[in-house]
Amino acid sequence: MATRSFVAAWTGNRRREAGLLFPSLQRDVAFPLAGAVVLFAAFVGAGLLYTLMVEGASAEKLITAMFIDAIMVIGIQIYVGNTGVFSFGHIGFGAVAGYAFALFAIAPDDKYTRIPNAPWGLADVEMGPLPATAVALGVTLIVAVIVGIGLGRSGARSGSVAPTVITLALLFFTHEVAASWNELTGGERAGLTFGIGDTLQTRTPIYLALFAAIVLALLFARSSIGRLNQAAREDNLAARAMGINPVVQQTIALLLSVAVVAVAASLRVYEIGSLLPEFFFFQYTLLTLVMLVVGGRNGVTGALLGVGVITAVRESARRMGSDGYEIFGLGLDGNLDWVFREGLPTVLLGLAMVVFMIWRPNGVLDDWEVDAWLWRRFIRQKPPAAAVAAPEPDALDLSASEVTVEFGGFRALDGASIEVSNREIVGLIGPNGAGKTTLVNVMTGMVDPTSGEVHLGEMGLTSEPSHAIARAGLVRTFQNLRLFSSLTVRENVEVAALMASVHRNGGTRADIDAIVAGAGLWEQRNRRAGQLDYGNSRRLELARAAAAAPAFLLLDEPTSGMSDTESLAMVESVRRMAAAVGAGVLVIDHDLNFITGICDRVYCLDQGRMIAIGTPDEVQADAAVKAAYLGEAAQPGEDRT
Amino acid sequence: MTELIQNLIDGLGRGSIYALLALGVAVVFGVMHLLNFAHGELITVSGYAAYAAFSNGWSWYLVAPLIVVVSVATNLVIERVAFSRVRGSSEFTQLLTSFGIHFLVAAIFLMYIGARVQTFAEPGWIADTYSIGPVRVEVFDTVVIIVAIVTLVLTAAILQRTMFGLSIRAAAADFDAARLMGVNSDRVIRGAFALSGALAGIAGIFWLMRAGHTSPTSGINPMLSGVLAALIGGLGSLKGAVIGGLALGLAEVMLRTWLPGGAAALTQGVVFSLIALLFIFRPGGLVNVAHAERV
Repeated sequence: MATRSFVAAWTGNRRREAGLLFPSLQRDVAFPLAGAVVLFAAFVGAGLLYTLMVEGASAEKLITAMFIDAIMVIGIQIYVGNTGVFSFGHIGFGAVAGYAFALFAIAPDDKYTRIPNAPWGLADVEMGPLPATAVALGVTLIVAVIVGIGLGRSGARSGSVAPTVITLALLFFTHEVAASWNELTGGERAGLTFGIGDTLQTRTPIYLALFAAIVLALLFARSSIGRLNQAAREDNLAARAMGINPVVQQTIALLLSVAVVAVAASLRVYEIGSLLPEFFFFQYTLLTLVMLVVGGRNGVTGALLGVGVITAVRESARRMGSDGYEIFGLGLDGNLDWVFREGLPTVLLGLAMVVFMIWRPNGVLDDWEVDAWLWRRFIRQKPPAAAVAAPEPDALDLSASEVTVEFGGFRALDGASIEVSNREIVGLIGPNGAGKTTLVNVMTGMVDPTSGEVHLGEMGLTSEPSHAIARAGLVRTFQNLRLFSSLTVRENVEVAALMASVHRNGGTRADIDAIVAGAGLWEQRNRRAGQLDYGNSRRLELARAAAAAPAFLLLDEPTSGMSDTESLAMVESVRRMAAAVGAGVLVIDHDLNFITGICDRVYCLDQGRMIAIGTPDEVQADAAVKAAYLGEAAQPGEDRT
Repeated sequence: MTELIQNLIDGLGRGSIYALLALGVAVVFGVMHLLNFAHGELITVSGYAAYAAFSNGWSWYLVAPLIVVVSVATNLVIERVAFSRVRGSSEFTQLLTSFGIHFLVAAIFLMYIGARVQTFAEPGWIADTYSIGPVRVEVFDTVVIIVAIVTLVLTAAILQRTMFGLSIRAAAADFDAARLMGVNSDRVIRGAFALSGALAGIAGIFWLMRAGHTSPTSGINPMLSGVLAALIGGLGSLKGAVIGGLALGLAEVMLRTWLPGGAAALTQGVVFSLIALLFIFRPGGLVNVAHAERV
């Protein structure tokens, strides 16, 4: 019975997610498709223009290679750009795909000469390039699932070292296997070779794959999965506090990314007509990474720009190194011999990497994207109607009982209990280090209690993962702002609303614009959250939390750093938000004016123990509170401690 | 049994060099959270310096200190030109910067000296061995182990007893707090790079003695060994780096003996995969350094 209801809930959630994959058909599907056409036309057009200007087989070959590199780089961008997780060894997936493709696509006669003793009878396999690509895709995806599980377990997030190490291990392992397993791969020197005339003769499959890759990457970035990934990229902890499980989202991004990489690798092998271990190793890693970061790894437009620019720079350097140089038709009499010589392309790649990391680590375009630009330019957005207040929800209690937390020998909380109903606003005060934030951390699953329990109604939440707690209806804000800073204001709210529509209110979509407008942020909706001033950032954090359709809002010092007038305005915002979503509120603050102005009841915490409970007036009058919190000399009503 | 002891000594010899490299990686990681993929280039640069010195008739006794000096100077220049400008950037940015430098240095040598491997004479005693009972010990391994111990003791003394060492350890524990306490971040970081360069230089002497040649790509193996060993040790931990180096040396020798025939070529890949598994199941490394996130 329990299993069946779990399965029903699970499938229901997946169905809801599928329904919400593209929140707006116009913005998230139509415009990305249009953008893909524009990008594809511009990129391929530029390449073809070059082959018209510079005729000859080598120019054709260069442009073909550039198109394939573009598919590869877009494949990497899907993962690295959206998740922010730095996969160093993505080319290792390319190696797996490349060998799988070559082993299946090369004709048996050619395999008999190189690898007659290939294991599993691989030498006898005869297969067309298309099915061979499918096999390569399948094999590589299996590897990706295994790597993905490892990445998930290691707690991969942007900035952590583990994913770099894990993917680097893949890169080295595949390279060493390829270099030493001579019966399978032909070894380090000889490698595998297609028969003459058996290689890729037309660009059609490349065009198809490139267009598909651009479409996929743009659609993915706009899909709800892409957006959840971007939120986790900006702030992993805040994303989990909104109910996002980054591991699941990252794994989906990885699989999609690896699929594109596998196709690119197959095409690359098919086009070159041979395969050596070094084809998919450090040098190619450097090339693709430089291409990715020069234009801007967070966008598809940036990735393609990088591919174009780096191809152009490398080719010029190579020609000048080997054929002598001529700039604008002027021979320069050999003064520059020390620059234009063999090895220059690699020097330029290394230099480009270092210079861009110093000068513009997010690339020329950062996350500028063609479809978003078109949308902003051509679609006028109307300010929304006012939000409708939520109906009064059923009564629900949130309680933490006898919570004790020990960090080493230090007791941050010592049997503290608190109870909040969803019809009230409750304050939690106490001097610095009293354990207020720790209590909220315990309730939201960010700190495991040594003992004690947290309940939401009948449901036990103790030590559940943060995202599960958020989905159950406990949503928090942070003392030190944690916005998704390179997402826009609207996107910040949208990500929270997305999670809410899947897990909180059964597929109903919240009116995001109304929430944004209600928070007084309508004018700023398309600005990046990172560019907001302090007061607006605080308001956005509150709006984002409200958009997650919580049963309880846990606010950690929402007025910290605000002036008195701003704090009073905050009282209004919190009241309005709580009423709009029908949530109970637990608010931590130092500002007594704020607490008195807003709370129905107040708890006071000191040295990990609750020392007083009551109405704001009662608590302020309490002797123990005065002693602990205000100090003997202070007068009640004084606004700050 | 004899074989095991033999392997242990081989592994310790190798591991000592790795430990010095890893310690250099860890010291830099500690002060600026940079996983330095350019660390091996110190050996490329000092390798070419050594080659130039040998061409002018210098002996190993003069070249050895030269290698250390060049390595320190190179690291300071790299810090000045590149790493000081990405200080405080994301780990992603810093890592890619070092990756770029790794290729840049190699390519510059390729461009101006050529891809040819430049050989020089190894010292005469490098292949000498002596016996303790049934175990044959290389003089080279003995020298390496002794020098490594002396170096580590000196480094420990610097880290434990001097103001500079205290600031480095403080910075490694919590850089922001250290800065608030008045630690001069410029001086500490530069000092860390100098120390890291010196350690790489001492490791480089033995690396180059054993290799007997240098080439544009000769930085890649010492870089990998240093980074891998530091990873085993948990990156930020200095003690961990030394343990990681010794563990890596022993693991390499043991794997080479135990892996079946053809698989012996996979040693590095296997070591790498083991480390990946370590990261999957113990994300903090062997010597756990917990970094709790403040909320």
